[in-house]
Amino acid sequence: MTALAALTPTELRLLVRDWTVLVFAFVFPPLVMLVLAGVFGTHATVGFGWRNPQHYYVAASVGVPVLALALVGLPVTLAAYRERGVLRRFEAFGVSPATVIATQAIVAAGLILVGVGTVLVVAAPTYGIPHVTHPVQAALGLAASTLTLLLLGIAVGLAAPSARAAQAIGLIAFFPLYLLGGGGPPNGAMTGAMHSISNALPSPIPAIADPWLGLPGLGVQLAVFAAWAALALVAIWWLVRRAAHQS
Amino acid sequence: MCKCRPALSVAGMQNTAIEVHDLKKSYDGRPVLRGVSFSVRAGEIFGIAGRNGAGKTTTAEILQGLRSRDGGRVDVLGFDPGPERRRLRPLLGAQLQTSALPERLRVGEALRLFARLAPARSDWRQFADAWRLGPLLDTPFGNLSGGQRQRLFVALAMINRPRALFLDELTQGLDPVARRDAWQLIEQARDHGTTVVLVTHDMEEAERLCDRVAVLHDGRLVACARPVELASSTGTVRLRFSSPAAAGLAGLGSVPGVTAVGYDGTTADVTVEPVAVVRVATELARRDLAPSDFTVIRPSLEEALVPLMNGDPR
Repeated sequence: MTALAALTPTELRLLVRDWTVLVFAFVFPPLVMLVLAGVFGTHATVGFGWRNPQHYYVAASVGVPVLALALVGLPVTLAAYRERGVLRRFEAFGVSPATVIATQAIVAAGLILVGVGTVLVVAAPTYGIPHVTHPVQAALGLAASTLTLLLLGIAVGLAAPSARAAQAIGLIAFFPLYLLGGGGPPNGAMTGAMHSISNALPSPIPAIADPWLGLPGLGVQLAVFAAWAALALVAIWWLVRRAAHQS
Repeated sequence: MCKCRPALSVAGMQNTAIEVHDLKKSYDGRPVLRGVSFSVRAGEIFGIAGRNGAGKTTTAEILQGLRSRDGGRVDVLGFDPGPERRRLRPLLGAQLQTSALPERLRVGEALRLFARLAPARSDWRQFADAWRLGPLLDTPFGNLSGGQRQRLFVALAMINRPRALFLDELTQGLDPVARRDAWQLIEQARDHGTTVVLVTHDMEEAERLCDRVAVLHDGRLVACARPVELASSTGTVRLRFSSPAAAGLAGLGSVPGVTAVGYDGTTADVTVEPVAVVRVATELARRDLAPSDFTVIRPSLEEALVPLMNGDPR
């Protein structure tokens, strides 16, 4: 049995036992969706790009589990493993840190899909699931944002000196990407400067919600993701080299 | 530079499991190993002793491929733990000084997981029983006591039936019963042919378990020998016996090999070179003194090693 195959079910069980991760990944997104979609109702306005606000918040909330698990759940676990010597324990047994990190990324990706499913399951009987205008593009937006944010999450997990620091960095990254990504006020309601910042951030919310609701712009968003993913890969490479140099 | 080579057996043949030559390592320009050389023969329990910061753990971790080295040559079971660590690791077991498992991982899950990760099929239940972990199988790692954690770590270190086992502060946190159980299991592993490298502060443990002990001081090997040889390296033993009067001891100091004579009013305390023990006994007999409590006190390994650990070259 490969190390990846042996570790994945164990890591999954461990993450499922962490109620804070479960709340943040599976309770927070549908709760926010229920509240915001209920507050703004169904009246389309210019701020929402003439889209039904309820539809908008259902589609937008699908990106929240990506942010929660990739930017908070994954880095905290990884930094805790580094801080407490768990990576070293596995390394001494012949399981490389890269394998452990890959396992955690796979588990986080799996839980992201469960989180997305949870949002949709809660939306279906309440506000309904809006029609997906461009399903392939929406899926591409989900995949690209998940991959990019997982890479950023790994970089944070490798850089943070402790699990607490990783949690702080993750939350500091989470809220701008959530709010400026359009998870709170929609992108169309933002001022010019905030709008520009929003467009440069790797938020999964517009990457999923825009093609879902028929708005263009995924090409630019994919370019933004590619740039951030490249940045994350360089950071990971540098951090791994630094750790090897220190050993 | 002190070098440490295993003594040849009667047959004149010994399989060397680990060969270290002129090992050097620095952290941020601060040297922690300054040319350490030693050999460990297959099936031996080899102790590495020294004060905190002497370079013990760094040495053990370099041998396992967990740390890089700055210089020197290392061969562990035929592999260089630097470039060949992937091929070497499946042959090693390790209980590290500072490491942990995920807090929520249960003992049974940890044993199952590491048994699955082992290159050869391994029955984890056997290790659970041997290390008295059976009642703890459903306990999360975070809820284990220090001693229970140590037992789990050692069980995990042995679960792949390694050819070489590295144990760093093995019995730290273990109660006396668990400590003696651990010693017994380590001896069993050695009896099955496993080479054991034991990093320890515990001189009783080193004396009881180790075939040979290397002593590091400030990144240098200052001694390496069998515990009994190290213990006798102080060059003196003490003789204690009851004596009714100081007068009976007069002139004892002039017996060749006697270095000091003390008397507290009831008991004589004579420090002598080992060869002078018989001379002193003979002299006492000549004086018609035959104390029934005549005792030869050899220095313990700890007494012998403390000066070495403090850098006293003797």
